[in-house]
Amino acid sequence: MYDWLLFFHLLAAFMLAVTVVIYSAVAIGVTAPGRTLFVADRCWDVGGVGTLILGIWLALHLDEYGFFDGWILGAIALWFVATGLGQTIQRRMAAGETAAGATMHWLRTLVIIGLLVLMIWKPGA
Amino acid sequence: MSLLAAIRPDDWNIALFVHILGAMMLVGSLVLVATALAARDLRLGFRSLLLGVIPGWIVMRGAAEWIAEKERVNDIDPTPAWVDIGYSVGDPMLLFIIIATVCAGLAARRQSTGPLRTTALVLVGILLVASVVAVWAMSTKPT
Repeated sequence: MYDWLLFFHLLAAFMLAVTVVIYSAVAIGVTAPGRTLFVADRCWDVGGVGTLILGIWLALHLDEYGFFDGWILGAIALWFVATGLGQTIQRRMAAGETAAGATMHWLRTLVIIGLLVLMIWKPGA
Repeated sequence: MSLLAAIRPDDWNIALFVHILGAMMLVGSLVLVATALAARDLRLGFRSLLLGVIPGWIVMRGAAEWIAEKERVNDIDPTPAWVDIGYSVGDPMLLFIIIATVCAGLAARRQSTGPLRTTALVLVGILLVASVVAVWAMSTKPT
């Protein structure tokens, strides 16, 4: 059970990475086809929901970790920040505000890297 | 094995972090290539292979060796199945990536949306499936 939860949790995290990579290309000036941005946005939606739900499920499933562990609460907080930034980026890009969208994208990238750091080092666990 | 993964020593973390970061760059770039080639943006597909997929593979594969050395998984006899799967999926990926890059490069140069683009697209599809298999092996660690 743990293995499969971790597999789908990781798969969801890779979907977030897909969005980050595609929007990084856009942020450095690449004109991406509409279909590419559509895929990036859907990966963000599915990956976001998947990482949160499966991540909480994993935390509850394992005796070693508790929902109120500092690194898990930190990860949930970063997840909300990344989600907020993601929605704003989608709106800004759709409105043609590429420069503002790019700045927010780099912020989101830092937040996602921060999430990965928390998931690997698990400070306080 | 899963419990061991959950409580691994701290000095393995940096190698694991770089390994996952490289793998994420690899998979993200592969999806970018696939959507670009599908949309007939051959130049973007080729450049993404060259500047995203190849560096991502190098970082992922290099860090895989780094963490394998730290965990001494290659010294275990017999080698765990998930390690074998990792090598047998990860190493041939480079050959597929090189062929896909050459095909996409030639297609972009000739502005050809024929067999070269299709070949690159099919190879990228295979690479994405292989990536999912590798993620499955690394997370479920089948013995």
